This record gives sequence, structure tokens and C-alpha cells, in this order.
Amino acid sequence: MIHKILAERRTEMDLECEINGEPISLDVPPTRRLLSILRDDLQLTGTKVSCEIGRCGACMVLVDGQQVNSCLTMAYQCDGKSITTIEGLGSSEVDPIQQCFLEEGGYQCGYCTPGMIISVKALLTHNPEPSAEDIEEAMSGNLCRCTGYGGIIRSVQKAVSLRRNTQ
Amino acid sequence: MILNRTTSGGRWRIRPDGPDKVTGKLAYLTDMSREGMLIGRVLRSPHPHAGIVAIHTDNARKIPGVHAVITHADVPGLNRFGIVNPDQPVLCEDRVRFIGDAVAAVAAETPELAALALESIEVEYVLLPVVDDPVQAQSKLSPKLHPGGNVLHRTQYGEGKVEKEFSGCKHIVEETYMTPRQMHTYMETEGGLFIPEEGGRLTVYSPTQHGYKDRMQLARILGLPEFNIRVVSSPIGGSFGGKDELNVQPYGALLALVTGKPVKIHHSRWESVRAGLKRHPMTIKMRTGVDGEGRILAHRVSIIADTGAYATLGAEVLNFCVEHVIGPYRYESVEVEGVSVYTNNGVSGEFRGFGGNQAIFALEGQMDRLAERLGMDPWEFRLLNMRKPEDPGPLGQEIVRTDGAKQVWDALAVNPLWLQRQETSKSEHWIRRGTGAAFVMHGSGLGFGIPDPAGGMLALAADGKIEAIFGYEEFGQGLIATLELMLIEQFGFGADDVRIVIGDTDLVPHSGSSTASRATGMMWKSLQKLRGPFLNRLLKEASSLLSIPTESLRVGIGGIWNDTQDHLLLTYGQLAQGATEEIIYQTHFPFPASPTKRIGAHYLYTYAAVAVQVEVNMLTGRVKLLKQVHAVAAGPVMNPQGFLGQIEGGSGMAVGFALTEDSDMDKGVYLTRNLDTYLIPSWADLNGEIEVQAIEDLPEGDEHGPRGVGEIGSVGIAPAIAEAVYQATGKRLNKLPIDPELLQEVPEFLTKAVDGR
Repeated sequence: MIHKILAERRTEMDLECEINGEPISLDVPPTRRLLSILRDDLQLTGTKVSCEIGRCGACMVLVDGQQVNSCLTMAYQCDGKSITTIEGLGSSEVDPIQQCFLEEGGYQCGYCTPGMIISVKALLTHNPEPSAEDIEEAMSGNLCRCTGYGGIIRSVQKAVSLRRNTQ
Repeated sequence: MILNRTTSGGRWRIRPDGPDKVTGKLAYLTDMSREGMLIGRVLRSPHPHAGIVAIHTDNARKIPGVHAVITHADVPGLNRFGIVNPDQPVLCEDRVRFIGDAVAAVAAETPELAALALESIEVEYVLLPVVDDPVQAQSKLSPKLHPGGNVLHRTQYGEGKVEKEFSGCKHIVEETYMTPRQMHTYMETEGGLFIPEEGGRLTVYSPTQHGYKDRMQLARILGLPEFNIRVVSSPIGGSFGGKDELNVQPYGALLALVTGKPVKIHHSRWESVRAGLKRHPMTIKMRTGVDGEGRILAHRVSIIADTGAYATLGAEVLNFCVEHVIGPYRYESVEVEGVSVYTNNGVSGEFRGFGGNQAIFALEGQMDRLAERLGMDPWEFRLLNMRKPEDPGPLGQEIVRTDGAKQVWDALAVNPLWLQRQETSKSEHWIRRGTGAAFVMHGSGLGFGIPDPAGGMLALAADGKIEAIFGYEEFGQGLIATLELMLIEQFGFGADDVRIVIGDTDLVPHSGSSTASRATGMMWKSLQKLRGPFLNRLLKEASSLLSIPTESLRVGIGGIWNDTQDHLLLTYGQLAQGATEEIIYQTHFPFPASPTKRIGAHYLYTYAAVAVQVEVNMLTGRVKLLKQVHAVAAGPVMNPQGFLGQIEGGSGMAVGFALTEDSDMDKGVYLTRNLDTYLIPSWADLNGEIEVQAIEDLPEGDEHGPRGVGEIGSVGIAPAIAEAVYQATGKRLNKLPIDPELLQEVPEFLTKAVDGR
């Protein structure tokens, strides 16, 4: 009766973390997924839900700067961590990566776009001059069904060359 | 023109919906929530075929926090849905026919309680024999899934005497082609928010490709007048035909009305797989014969489509397939028969390409094989048999004449990718390269005899915004951006002057569906009709406000200008304030249809030629797409970024259809339940080169403007890949997705090792 246990659970933990630069304290079950905390508890719906098994990347966020599928991340794993969602990127003005997606048309329906951009952010934060193989590896966990990746590849190439030139 | 950002110049614009998409601010309908809302869930059949003896809901109802548990007894109106042929139960009464059939639905305060409620419903089933094969389903011994039997639709077309012509053929190719149960795999699964409003109204926030059609179906189910329901249907996180039919809407609507509270439903991926539509798996037999010169004398086709448990648009998909297995060629004689058959497999229905994907894979496969038999160049062989501009369409129907076929043929014939197809670059000896091409014509619109309304409105709103109001949907294709660009280019407005209103039945007129590659063309035609009256009216109102004759006024960015366009005389805001009465113009007309009375026959066609270069790893059997080129004749390009995106995106989807995608079923049960086993192309699969060439010329006096491009990118890739694989490996494959095992060659050293020699 897993559903009964889940439905009646009372055990909660005090989750202390930072989300988009703001310290936050939440009473949540330790097994609540970060995805649900973001979307359902905090209404940060820029993080999308799609496969929920870590295959599509729609729910990608940064945890201490690393790209992470928030559908596979439990609340207890976030304790003391700094989490950045798409809403936390370019909060005052759009991030250069976002600008590249806008200019090159790196999106259609837009549902994969926040996760896609988060993955580019993680890549370029740690690797300012990624090779084609580095890019392929960083981006292979993000699926897009609309674009055939054409516009996304052009956006990322542009973001990479921009990053290289601003070093 | 090769389409890209550079060649597009100033026409390459940031989409109006772009900033909110890249920042995550855009609220999709499945992102919405309301204070005090309940979570809706649907109990679906665990069996592909069973009788329902009893449904016990008492235990579920007793759970604190569960507000409603509904079954078929709670459906006030018609307990059925289906766009054309409503044969799918909203909630099953006495029988389930597939693994996604809905039996009950619940609304509870939390997702956990909703899950517990589902688990607490007891349904007594009696298992029935599973009909999972469309051939066996047609046998007299097969259990009947519907009162009329297991044939949803049977159709045929013929011209000339096929048997007689076959006897005069020099070469005959006979093959059977099989295509997969492809899944749309929109990244946003089905869902929405359903809100009971004051006065007995209901607001439905849920994606669909035709808001008014959902409203009609929901009214029928709920037993409500249509005007009591408001359907808000955009923005949408992908659809590709998959959200054209009702999905969660009946359950959300019923639960909201029963509980009097907002209800949210959002499918998990597995529920989306289980309940959602797929592309019809088809088996297509073709026997095609040519004379010694290569002219096609006879073409006989038989199509069997697995339509699954319910109809949706299965009959229409089959009609489309019959038309497109004939396609762009001339035949002395042709005979096509098709049947769409009910089974206990998942429901097949509308999906980008609409039966053309399967048809063209088979037809182009025949063309390549015949050319080889004849020792002819495959592209020359196609030219020899190509319909001429003055020829009728595939079903003998009158069609709108264009030179598109020859234009795309010519474009590919001189493309470097095609010209250099014999050159094989040397790499590891287990890697082989090959190039293949396909030639397609693809109809747009719903076809003759099917109501296919179009139209829209232009208005000057009180705040001075020019409103373009259409009943179309934005599911990513860029419809909003295209409409904005049309208003800028064809009317002279500035982007900031314009407000686009779509996807809300309380606000928009009937414009027909956003399907069948029809929306861009119909927006263009609407604006052509509205342009004169609307602009004249603006000038007339301005003239009386300014006391300047209309001849000395011009419509421009920000408002009304003097005739040399150096002084802005009146802003649109001032014009709206001063206008004597509301400035609003509406147009309504049907999608152009052929005068030939053949149900489903198309009148407007887009033409494309596509070539691909692939690399096959003979050790793993994996096929990698290196290069592709598409030449597309679809009239003037309305929005270069959108056009390019449709061809690239349609193509990417077709690569999956050709190489990896199949919703595998065993005795009516899905084996592929999520994206770990159902593999859509990733970045690594689609990072080859792609060139899209748009051929924009139309014959003088053509009045139909831009043709559809939403589907054509997705129909020619599979046969081109199959031919390229043959060129690389010498292996002809008739079944998609291509099974890597059939391409693997055991290296010599392995044979030795096993033999121990």
C-alpha cells in the first residue's frame, strides 16, 4: 500500500537551501522530489515536467552549478545546496545564452527550452571552450521534439563562440 | 533560396513568444494552478480487452480528501468522443477495448490521495480474447470489437486495367512495406485546468489543435449548450496531431462540474503513452510494373492499417494514404485498396503526415527498385514518370496547377549532395556511406467533402492595438510570429501596433483547425480578403478626424501618416478613441477544394525533393545521418525561421520514424512505456548538416499564396534513408524502423574465433 503510506505521510524535514540566490526554508518530506518542490510548492513552473525518469532534461536545473534532472533529485539531497532554475538565470536582463536562443530561433514549442538553456549554462560555466564532443555530451540529456535540433545547435554554437570571445 | 538567418535578412525576427519561452515565464496550460484546486486522475483498464462486470467505488469515495469518484453513470450527455466518428467511451460501461480505456475518474486534494483513490476502486473484469493483429481481426472467427465489426473503413481507387497492363511489363517489383506505431512524443504531456465559473459556465484550459471542436465535443458529453463552455487552448508544448482529439478534457470537465472546484489533470508520461494516439502501423503491399523504356504501366497497392480500439480520424488517415500511395507519378493503370481495422492495440490517429509517411515510404521504395531493375538513374526514372503540371491529381481530381514538381526535381538534380553521391570517402573499413533521395507531393487541407472552414478577424481595439483574431493554435510552429510578420509586411503596421488573439473560444471566430498544413495559408488568405476593407476604413476614419482627404493619408508604423510618410498625424490610439463606431472586420470562407467529387481528395499540394547521406557502421548496424538537403516548393515563404523550423523539425521526427521509434506492443500491452525504451532522436543523432531550399515561384495569377509546410518535411526522409542504406550496404529493408541487426556483418576474425580455426 505504497499509495496509502504516501497519502498519509506526516514525516517532514526542514529543508534549508538557496533557490535562485534566496535562502529558503521548507517543511517537506525528505523524499519529495525537487521537481515537485519547484513546480508545485514554489510555482517555479519554468522548470518543466515530461518523462520523470531523467531521460528528457525538461526539468534540468543547476545544483551548485552542475546540471541535474530535478525529477531525480530528492529534497534531502538539496539541503545546504544552491539551486538555480531558469527563473534565476538572467533575472535582471536575459542571459547571453538566452539571447542566442532568441536570435537563432533555438526553440519552437518552448517546452524543452528552459532545460536546454540550463544545460548550456552548466557547460559554459565549467568549460569555456568546449569541443564538439563536449557539447554533444553536455546536450545529449536534453530532448527536443520540435526543432530537429537545427536551431538549438546554431544557438549553442553562437553561445559558445560568444563565451570564447568574452574570456 | 537557401533558407537561413543570413539569407532571410530583416525577415528573420525574434518571435513574439520567444522572450517568455527562453526565460521560463510562459505559463503553459499545464503550468496553471488555482487556490483550492483538486487533482484529477483517470483509472484506466489494465487489460487490452475485457468485459466489465462491476465497478466498486465505495471504498474510494470514503477516503477523506477525495471529492469525487465518477464512472459512466455520471456522464450526463453522450458518453462517447471522436472528432468525426464518436465511438470511444468517455468512461467505459461494460467493456474495455484497449489498455488506455478509461473506467473511472477521481478528484482529490493531493496527488497522493488521488493515487490512493484510484487504487481503492475495484473493477471486476472478465478477460476477453485479445485481437492484436489487423489481418486476423478481419477473419470471421475474430471477436467483434464494435457492433459493425472490425473494419472501420474500406476504400479503393482504380483507373485502367491493371491485370492487362502487368502482362505487358518488362519488369515488375513486388514488395511489402511495414511501418511502426510512432508516438508523437510532445514534450508537454496532455493536461489542463478545468474551472467551474459563475452562472454554470465552465472554463477549460487545455491544449488542442481546434478549440471549437473540443467545445462541441465537450458540450455533447456534458449535456451543456456550447456557449456555456470556454475553451482556452494555447500555448501548447507540442502536438503534431496528437492533441487534436480529446484526451484529458472530458475527465477534467466532468470532475470540475461534479465537485464545483477547479480540477487539474496532467498526464504522466506513461499515462500519455498508454492513452494517447499513435501513428497507424501499416502494411502496404505494392506491385508495380514498367515497360522497357521505364514507363509505369501498372501499380497495384493494398494497405492494411491498424487503427486500434477506436476510430478518431482513422478513416481520413486511410483516405490520405490511398491518395499518396499513387502520389506524383503517371500510371497506365492503377488499383489501390485500403482497409483500416479495429484491434485491441492502442488507438491510432492523426499524426503529422497523416498517412503520407507510410504511403511515401512504400511508393518511393518501389521507384528506387524499379530504376535499379531498369539500370536507370533513379532521379531520371522519377522524371520520366512524373505528373505534368496540367495533369490531374493522384485520384484523377482537378488540382491547382503549379510547376512545383519539376522545380524541386531540378533543384535536387544539381545539388552537390546528389551530384557527388557516388563519391565514397575513405574511413574505417567497417563504415560505409550512401546517398538516397525521395520525391514527394503532399496535400494540404482536409480534402473534398469534409467541412473545412477558414477565416479570421481584424479589429482596432479601444486601446489602439490592431487585433488579429484567429481560431488557430500555437503549438510551437510559430503561427504567432508568422501572423505578426504578415501584418508588418502586408499592412505596414509596426510590431508594437499589433496584438494577436488566438486559442480562446470566447474571443476568436471559427477559423477551422490548426492541422493538415492549412493554418498559414488560411491566415494569408484571410488577410488578403480583410486588407482592403480594413485599411480603407482606417483611412476613412482618420480622414474625417483630421479633415484630410484619404488619398493624402497612409497607414504606417504607429498610426496614420501623411502621404510622404514623414509625419505621423494620428496614432492608432487616437484613431480608436475618435472612431465613430467599432472598427472590426471578419471574413469566413472554406479551404479551397477540388471540383472533383472524391471524398478526401486534395486540391492544393506542396512538392519536395529530399536527399540524405548516411553512414552505416557495419559492426553495430547503426545508421547515422550525415547530410540532408530539402528542396520545397510551397509558394512564398511567409516566415523564414518558421519555414526552416518546420522542415528541420519534421525531418528530425522522420529520422526517428526511420531508425529508432516504435511503440512496441505485445498482445495489446505497451512494452515501451517511457523515453528510456522509446527512443526519439537526440542531439547526437541529428547534428549533421541540413540545407533547406525554398522555391517560392507560383504560376502567374495563382490566388492561393503560401502552401503548407507543416508536414512535408516529415514524409520523404524515411524512403531517402532506406535508399541511402541500400547504397551503403547493398541491403534493401522494407520495415521501419530499420533493425540494426539486419545491417550487422560479422567480421571475419569473429567467425574464426567461434569456429576455433
